[in-house]
Amino acid sequence: MAERVHMSGIGKRFGETVALAGVDFTAARGEIHGLLGENGAGKTTLMNVLSGLYRADEGRIAIDGATAAIAKPSDALRYGIGMVHQHVELIPNFSTLENVLLGREGGGLWLRPERHRKDVEAVAARFGLAIDLDVEVRQLAVGVQQKVEILKALYRGVDILILDEPTTMLTPQEVDTLFGTLRAMADQGLTVVFITHKIREILANCDRVTVMRGGRRVTTLERARMDEGHLVELMIGERLQTASVSETRETSVGPVAAAQTVLEVIDLAVEGERGRPILTACSFRVDAGEVVGVAGVAGNGQRELADTLAGAIRAAAGHILLEGRDVTSASVRARIAAGLLVIAEDRITDGLLPGLSVAENLVLGLHPFAFSRRFTFDRGRARELARAAIAEYAIRARSEDAPAVELSGGNIQKVLVARAIAQARAVGGRLLVATNPTRGLDVRATEFVRHRCLAFAATGGGVLLISEDLDELRQLCHRIVVMFRGTIVADLPRERFDPYAIGRLMAGATAKPAPS
Amino acid sequence: MSRETTPAGASFATEALTYVVAVALAAAVSALFIVAMRGDVVLALRSILSSSLGSVAGFAQTLNKISPLLLGSMAVMLARQGGFFNIGVDGQMYAGAIVTTGIAFAVGNALPLVVMLPLALVAGFAGGAAFGAVPGALRARWGVNEIFVTVMLNFVAYYFTEWVATGPWNDPITGEAITRVLPASATLPMLLPAAGAHAGILIAVVVSAAVAVLLGRTLLGYEIRTAGDNPRAATLGGVRLGPVTLVTLALSGALAGLAGAIEVVGYHNRLILGLTPGYGAMAILIAVLGRMRPLGVGVASVLVAILMVGADSLQRSVKLPASAGAVFQAIVVLCVLLVETRSARRARA
Repeated sequence: MAERVHMSGIGKRFGETVALAGVDFTAARGEIHGLLGENGAGKTTLMNVLSGLYRADEGRIAIDGATAAIAKPSDALRYGIGMVHQHVELIPNFSTLENVLLGREGGGLWLRPERHRKDVEAVAARFGLAIDLDVEVRQLAVGVQQKVEILKALYRGVDILILDEPTTMLTPQEVDTLFGTLRAMADQGLTVVFITHKIREILANCDRVTVMRGGRRVTTLERARMDEGHLVELMIGERLQTASVSETRETSVGPVAAAQTVLEVIDLAVEGERGRPILTACSFRVDAGEVVGVAGVAGNGQRELADTLAGAIRAAAGHILLEGRDVTSASVRARIAAGLLVIAEDRITDGLLPGLSVAENLVLGLHPFAFSRRFTFDRGRARELARAAIAEYAIRARSEDAPAVELSGGNIQKVLVARAIAQARAVGGRLLVATNPTRGLDVRATEFVRHRCLAFAATGGGVLLISEDLDELRQLCHRIVVMFRGTIVADLPRERFDPYAIGRLMAGATAKPAPS
Repeated sequence: MSRETTPAGASFATEALTYVVAVALAAAVSALFIVAMRGDVVLALRSILSSSLGSVAGFAQTLNKISPLLLGSMAVMLARQGGFFNIGVDGQMYAGAIVTTGIAFAVGNALPLVVMLPLALVAGFAGGAAFGAVPGALRARWGVNEIFVTVMLNFVAYYFTEWVATGPWNDPITGEAITRVLPASATLPMLLPAAGAHAGILIAVVVSAAVAVLLGRTLLGYEIRTAGDNPRAATLGGVRLGPVTLVTLALSGALAGLAGAIEVVGYHNRLILGLTPGYGAMAILIAVLGRMRPLGVGVASVLVAILMVGADSLQRSVKLPASAGAVFQAIVVLCVLLVETRSARRARA
């Protein structure tokens, strides 16, 4: 294989933090090269260096054997290097063609996209990217938008394409299509570098894999030498964790005791601005001891469902029954008091109080119940609770008085989980509504959070797990309900957890009766 | 992918250093300004300090100045902690002053000082609270931006003051927008009688300490801070934003109203148009200087009071225009903001 990219001894620091330490990386012509590691391993940082977003503090980059000076993305582009980031970065109300041409319109005052249509079509045809060039990007599904990003890179002459966690937002079908496209590109001699923390995607699609951990390269393996257990071990640096994953799987399918309904949602409807329907006729239930998953492509009403259950937005119609009691119009605080706890979707925008201390963050929601005196905020008690949570959840904070803005993403998530569980302990938790509770967490923290959710159910509560990670849902849930365009379109028991069937439902296909 | 790193935290030491750098920068720029005006820097500094702190009369003047500045900036800070911008301190001061004056004229002659004085102060507090509750209610109910409402209400209060001071309560002898003198029972006792320092400073300090306790040690204060820090997280944590908004802005207005009442019963002994020579804007600067924390705001109030009183003397000693004091204040605030922004950016990078 002809070596295209050769990075050697790459080092990068951010202040005190060493993000990359002496990393070597090579990628060849015509290969799909997986870059595997946990969050914080330095995968994205390494590729940001290659694509000119960051400048390395030390090390050398060679392209086709010659030293390359890459100081900014436009330099990288000259070497044919382009990166598609985790979240689509397109202009929603421009057409596909306009987005592809953006920044490459050529000189002159006027936009003349039509002049370049043929060239764009030729590139799309060459790699089998069938996209309507004239439709506005916002009307496209996320999977297609990603194709537009890839087309944009290819049109700019990129032949070393880097993709950062490209499958996060996709349905299983879209994932298959994506890898089909990538394989076609590799077959035509392009180099594809594919960043992920999902081992299965590596096993299914990559010719080689480079594993990173803690800012260092652990090893690079050929396809023949890849093995799931071994890769997990290399990625997290210890053996123990694989066992706990399977153990989790065991506990999750444990028997559900005689069902008592914790949550019943009946014909729930929510309206957005100007009466636009966001949720319509949503009905489902969660029994005690049960973990019920909500699957769906982001933006199909999951966020509003969680908010309505929490009491942060008002239902236009329908009922929410918590253990038979109608809480549809109860306040957030009354719901917490009744045992309905929430781990919100976005830890930064929905959960964190950045300017307040870790202790003050931990007692949010608990504060009406935690203190002995009615009007006093007992700082000593808050600190005490915080110290206990910091120890129990292994939260890495300078102290309980440190401002929460200092915490890393994983530790913020732990604070939010600890907050919900502390509320549950104080009020007698009945229902836990968790949205993407493990997003962005490392393997250990993910397992930790999952165990907490399962434990909540095991002790007789109900868990509603809203997640974009289908693997997670399949692993943890007793049932999965599928959301599409603001309503529940299917309610599936464990024996029907086929990812492709769920993927089809997420994309809007109607549920067929179970083949009994 | 989110890097699992802890951003360089704003520890107390770095924060203090930021502040020292900012003040040093401000001092340097101010010195340059004085030199450019062909003044003597050392003489200017000595003149500011001796006129504001060096004499009993100057010291008394400084004390009197601290009261409205401290209460006004506490009002701005309290609102800000709840996530709001109270630009209406001037209006709320007038509102408090008007209610205090009205009560004093209505019942002052019939009541002894021990009853009348507290009543007058409470009236000012209540007047300010009512005036602050207007933007509070509009914001809580319909999401109307409190900045516009408070700015507009400043005009309402100002012109209403003009009307009562030239109309029903006017003192005909002065021929200006000034009311008659309040009854003696509505007069704040003197702290330094000979020098003219009234006891308002004591009230201001005690009330400010109460604000600090409210914010730090009560559930209401905690909820105000959560709402100001991240309203969505607060909502999901069971904080009811509507009532918290209303109470925060009403309390903020109440602090300003109390400041207005103190100016009336302590300093002027009547209501005058021009009761506040722009204390509201000054309060915002002080709140920024004090980094929106009670202790910082306290210290900044004292410094600005010294600067305001001292700047008057610059005209005589260094032949600088009287407005030089305002220039210095502006320089300090700009330097603090500049250095703060720079250090925040460095922490993020």
